[in-house]
Amino acid sequence: MEGALHTIGRSETRLALADKVRGAVRYTADLKRPDMVHGKILRCPHPHARIAALDTLAAERSPGVHAVLTYRDVSQARIDADLLVLDPVLRFVGDEVAVVAAESAALAEDALAAIRVEYELLPAVFDAEEALRPGAPAVHPGGNLVGERSLVVSRGDADAGFREAARVFEGMFRTQVHAPVGMETRAALAEWEGDRLTVWKTSRSVHANDRAMLARVFGVPLERVRVICPAMGGGFGNKDEGRIAALAAWLALKARRPVRIEYGRSEEFIAGRNRQSSVNRLRVGMKADGTPMAIELRSVMDAGAYVASGRNVVRRIGQGPLYLYACPNVRFEGIPVYTNRPAGGSFRGLGAPLGHFALEVLMDEAAAALGMDPLDYRLRFHVRQEGQPGRRVTPRDQPLPDEPVEGGVPFSSNGLGACLLAGAERIGWRERRRPPGSATGALRRGIGMAMGIYKGGVGREAQAVVGITREGRVAVSVGVVDVGQGSATILAQIAAEVLQVPLRQVDVTLADTARTPPGHITAGSSTTFSSGSAVKLAAETARNRLRERVAALLGATDVVLENGRFRVPGNEGAGMSLAEAMRRVPEEVVGRAVLTVGSSDFIVNSFAAHFAEVEVDVASGRIRVIRYVAAQDSGRIVNPRLAESQVSGGVLQFLAIALREELYLDRPSGVTLNPSFLEHKSTAIVDFPPVEVIFAGDPDPVGPFGAKALGEPPVVPVLAAIANAVANATGAWLHEVPFTPSRVLEAIRAQESAP
Amino acid sequence: MAQSAARMEEVSLRIEVNERPVSLSVEPRMTLLELLRERFDLTGAKPACERGECGACTVLLDDQPINACLVLAVQAAGRRIVTIEGLSERPDFQPLLDAFVSRDAGQCGYCTPGFAVAAYALLKGEPHAGDASVRWGLVGHICRCNAYDGIVAAVRDAGARMRRP
Repeated sequence: MEGALHTIGRSETRLALADKVRGAVRYTADLKRPDMVHGKILRCPHPHARIAALDTLAAERSPGVHAVLTYRDVSQARIDADLLVLDPVLRFVGDEVAVVAAESAALAEDALAAIRVEYELLPAVFDAEEALRPGAPAVHPGGNLVGERSLVVSRGDADAGFREAARVFEGMFRTQVHAPVGMETRAALAEWEGDRLTVWKTSRSVHANDRAMLARVFGVPLERVRVICPAMGGGFGNKDEGRIAALAAWLALKARRPVRIEYGRSEEFIAGRNRQSSVNRLRVGMKADGTPMAIELRSVMDAGAYVASGRNVVRRIGQGPLYLYACPNVRFEGIPVYTNRPAGGSFRGLGAPLGHFALEVLMDEAAAALGMDPLDYRLRFHVRQEGQPGRRVTPRDQPLPDEPVEGGVPFSSNGLGACLLAGAERIGWRERRRPPGSATGALRRGIGMAMGIYKGGVGREAQAVVGITREGRVAVSVGVVDVGQGSATILAQIAAEVLQVPLRQVDVTLADTARTPPGHITAGSSTTFSSGSAVKLAAETARNRLRERVAALLGATDVVLENGRFRVPGNEGAGMSLAEAMRRVPEEVVGRAVLTVGSSDFIVNSFAAHFAEVEVDVASGRIRVIRYVAAQDSGRIVNPRLAESQVSGGVLQFLAIALREELYLDRPSGVTLNPSFLEHKSTAIVDFPPVEVIFAGDPDPVGPFGAKALGEPPVVPVLAAIANAVANATGAWLHEVPFTPSRVLEAIRAQESAP
Repeated sequence: MAQSAARMEEVSLRIEVNERPVSLSVEPRMTLLELLRERFDLTGAKPACERGECGACTVLLDDQPINACLVLAVQAAGRRIVTIEGLSERPDFQPLLDAFVSRDAGQCGYCTPGFAVAAYALLKGEPHAGDASVRWGLVGHICRCNAYDGIVAAVRDAGARMRRP
């Protein structure tokens, strides 16, 4: 019964953006409560130590202090499997030792300085491969291999594939530690009323993570804990996985006052959760014509002091090598390792950009060695609509994973070929690209490319409530968070589409456990797909309920909703507007949905093909990005302008990661040397040209209104696209991120001296 | 445990905040950013780097954009401060506000007020600023969502509209 779409596919303006510009949106650290005091954290100056003695008396007597907490004052409850609320063992420089609540942040800092701690120093380890050797210092009981065994996944028989291969290409690829650092630092404000706890927090998961964790830590029933993320100043998959909420709540309990903690910038860099470094050994076996026969990747990932989501991160390193090229035999081994570096965690794309860097650079080298154009190579061998060769493993009636290994299953949609063609045309690949290393002179230009494959958003249980008020407004309530990606606008558009109302008639409530149904974590680029599907179903339920009532009012057997009006088929004179219908039905109409969208017939994935043009100064090793074209298949684009912002923002964010961002650790002190924006060298406004964004996908048959994941896919190919453009300019492929001038010069020298 | 804070000796000053004259006393170590946020509840200026690297706390001090995290409250004595909240009331700010919204020049929005204050001052001084001048004029501002392309387009649009009589 749907006519043409009226808001899906339109560049509606971002909800609340005008309030953001005016400074009227309140983020966690902007909130105040009556009698609120300020919390500050004492951090460990040693990379590995045990607290031998503690004296907090002077701190407790320090002016304006309301509470001091150490591991002796809190329960032994766990925030995560390897993370206590406070721990007598400290595992990195910056680990949390004690917390203080005082009348101002400055007074709290004064009190921190008065805490006396005697540390027993323990041996520390800063390198993942060293940490795996026998006799290495154990960061946690149970050893440094996280979970005590590596993760192995495979399809076919990689060894047999290599035996059949005419050519084998291999390489070592390294990626760095860097920091996600949203502009807003982590913050939490906790308040108790009797045994009821309210926490306002920078959060991606008020329901599934924070509320459940707080109820467990404080031993109170779930319904006595309320968690709200009032607005999020940048997510990027980060901002959780730490102690801040539990510490604020514990301080508030002891101080008998609301307590707000917010990290300073250097704390965010050091004790936020960072991108893990990785060392990747990749081998690819091919037939003489380039057909991939076997792909094998072994990744050792430095998880830092606490693993957080590190297992998922390492798994995702493998996904590109397992699935981007049609290949019968693949094997991936992921090895997350504890060290005494600042803890790693979840960041945009998880391991996908790291694995794609290795894969797409090695494939570029292989194509060159085979005398093939890298675009032609990819057009010929990329995974197609029909999926991977091999046998389905998931039972026929079970939903398929969106990070699959098995073959024999088609994609719901696969726009990879369309992305390749559209991007190549935009950058002028056929006309302008020259053979690798053929440029001469001091400034050498080159064009390179890389592909990407990523989860499409299926598999998270999502809930939504959509109500139509007596005033004819639509109230959408979902438990996820708008971390800045624009999900409030997208979910509103989906409801507005179903109910045929203008977007301004929709009110969205997110991220408040008291006012929204349980929601999944805002992660894995799943919100549009999973929560969007729930909003669509809830809105359809509300619409159908209203339809029944309107039909009764009109004495018709059925009515349809079109262009904002209920119409009686076959009786064009009868009908009423949605607003009129709401005035005449006796109460609000509400639709609820609980569902896990998946498909037992198809794998749902998003795709990308990126093209970069760079200029390399072969005297200094400096890389300048001249053009960047990002072609994405995310199915139907719900809001092109917001989607462009997502793609452009993701690419720009990763260009600095490709070229220079890195957190440096001093050894053996374990001290992070550059915990600030300028020293960490994030992207600035003058660094890169505008990103040229293309959407090349078709509507997906599974996703809501044909949409698929968009948040992370644009970051996946960036590292490899730049490396391959540099190789086209210089003839040298870079194997270590970031591509600093010295690494560029080294690679050029090595290439020139090669036989 | 101490019942009340023994504060550092406070200093009295008079300032003008968003066209309103105020007298107050502050600890000498308090920054202008803390003063605005904690005493005036003007939270549009954001703490983000604490050392003048990112521009999220930008306000106008005697019409000049400054990092409020680098100015002590006592240094603002006798001077005029305009925050994003004050600027938002001015008719000549509306073209910039509209352009930021129509160009999607903010995502999470945390750095956006700082960019908007700086862009306003930039266009007042250089109404014909081209893209390169806009980028270099805003180089002291960081946006981790990397909404930069939208911001440059918005300032360009607003400049064109503000030039029109």
